[in-house]
Amino acid sequence: MNIFQASNCPAWKFLNDFCVIVLGYFLKKKNLLPYLEFLQEENGLQAIVPVVNSNGATCFEELSKENSENLFLDSKAFFSAKKFFLPNREREFLFEKKAASFEIHETIKHRHKVLFGLRSCDLHALNALDKVFLDFYGYDSLYRNKRNTVLTIGLECLKPEKNCFCESFGTSKPDFFDLFFWEKKDGFFVEIGSPEWEKLYCKKFFEKTRENRNSQKENCSLKLETKNIAELLEKNFENPVWEKESEKCLSCSSCTQICPTCYCFAIEDFFIPGTEDSERYREWDSCQLQQFTRINAGIFRQSRKSRLRQFVMHKLSFFRQQHNVHLCVGCGRCIDACPAKISLVEIASQIQKNPIGAD
Amino acid sequence: MKKNIGKTRIGFFSLSCCEGCELAVLELNRDFVNALGFVEILESRILREKNPEQELGIAFVEGSIVGKDDLEKIQKIRQRSKFLVAMGACATIAGIPGIRNSLPEKTKSALPLHAVKKPLAAVHRLSDFVKVDFELQGCAINEKEFLKILVQLHHGFFPRLEEVPVCKECKEKENPCLLLKGIACLGPVTYAGCDALCPGVKAQCIGCRGFTKDANFASLKSMFKEFGLKGNEIKNLFTYFNNNPFEKGGF
Repeated sequence: MNIFQASNCPAWKFLNDFCVIVLGYFLKKKNLLPYLEFLQEENGLQAIVPVVNSNGATCFEELSKENSENLFLDSKAFFSAKKFFLPNREREFLFEKKAASFEIHETIKHRHKVLFGLRSCDLHALNALDKVFLDFYGYDSLYRNKRNTVLTIGLECLKPEKNCFCESFGTSKPDFFDLFFWEKKDGFFVEIGSPEWEKLYCKKFFEKTRENRNSQKENCSLKLETKNIAELLEKNFENPVWEKESEKCLSCSSCTQICPTCYCFAIEDFFIPGTEDSERYREWDSCQLQQFTRINAGIFRQSRKSRLRQFVMHKLSFFRQQHNVHLCVGCGRCIDACPAKISLVEIASQIQKNPIGAD
Repeated sequence: MKKNIGKTRIGFFSLSCCEGCELAVLELNRDFVNALGFVEILESRILREKNPEQELGIAFVEGSIVGKDDLEKIQKIRQRSKFLVAMGACATIAGIPGIRNSLPEKTKSALPLHAVKKPLAAVHRLSDFVKVDFELQGCAINEKEFLKILVQLHHGFFPRLEEVPVCKECKEKENPCLLLKGIACLGPVTYAGCDALCPGVKAQCIGCRGFTKDANFASLKSMFKEFGLKGNEIKNLFTYFNNNPFEKGGF
């Protein structure tokens, strides 16, 4: 973590805002692509970059000759980089049948990756996933193996999109990165964020600079008052807003699929045809689907209202009680993706306006 | 678990349909040949010359019930098989033959139904008349899903029923959403399993895999109206495949 951000002392804040001397370099804009190719060829890293894919959607893909012209750096990608840490379908292990027992085989092979173009919200989303899979319940080996082989390069957002509300959660300040690229005139100011940055250093392209990381970022137009929101939502469990909004909901699960912090998954075993061995797979699941809560006695989150409420409450209330951060990072992807135009911010602000059980 | 399970005896049957689902099974190619190691195909119009009636482990039945002879045939198949799997849109949601159900009365009476022996008043899916153990959705079926179910049933496990809308797979494939562009797509109310084939090539989903139990038709219909679709156009889209007389998405 960056020392300047760790401190809340006013003097430090002053230094941080006005006369910071952060160790950093300068990278010219025309050198960006050669730099990424350098990382791929010389350092042997798999470069993952935001691109416009063949269908016309913006997502993260491996840099190749075909897509190097389609780099997408204007704003955040529609699909987040979650799939590189939690793939939508992943084999956990294979269990081979022996005479009286089973033998478990795991395959752990991951190429070292560098994820370029993560926005500040994406970096904070990764931190939230780390809290779940690395800190809280012990650790998840599948996640850890992938997380430890990834280096991150952040990229500054100059112009937030219409559904961005990262400032409300304080996630507009970048953190948890290895390198961060601040947008400057015809180049980037490169800030160093972790000791691992040396793996990303390139003598040829990184120049010494007198630039600083002062940002000209515009403010988000969408705002959410996050003070005491966890407690407020808890008290408004039966607010009529839930019922009203859920009438529009299609339960298509787009919001949870596209959210950079949604991590719920289902586990299923499959027989391999023609043998007696089986494989265990892990797949994305979604709280918006009835099958998510199916147990032997039935489905306990049967109504659409209860499922929509679970999504919003987990983002803004339940997770905070467990991990002390909000699971929402304010990227606004769920609002972008919802065909029924249901907005998490809208629901929360409606409850703030008309709370029930207010003393 | 038993040690030697032996071969599973299966058969393929066609009622009123195009027999495309059975061909889709053959598209498994090498996997199909491998499957012959644990499976014995006893009855199939395409694969076998002679088809004597025998006891079966799993009967895969495609096609919908149009006439009385279809009905008699399916009841006989049910009696002599342990599991009955409905295969394809015709067998699970009445599908293309079922368009007859959704036609206006005038057009319906003009249909050349004399080609069918003793036609029923409406076209039905299998589960309206017999107990169906498992449904393989799609027009045509996804052959990988077929293999998955075959292997699970062979080992004596009942396959997990996935109740997931197409939108989930469409997002996994990273396709841009058609509904956000104002194109009427049935993805949110249709079962997944097709790897979002149609939205992946920018064609709207027309619901060949059947409607989910959890579908919110009211919200989707009002959305289509906002897109500028007329009532009749919406009805046509909803009843392209989903023509079962008892359950037609509110039409």
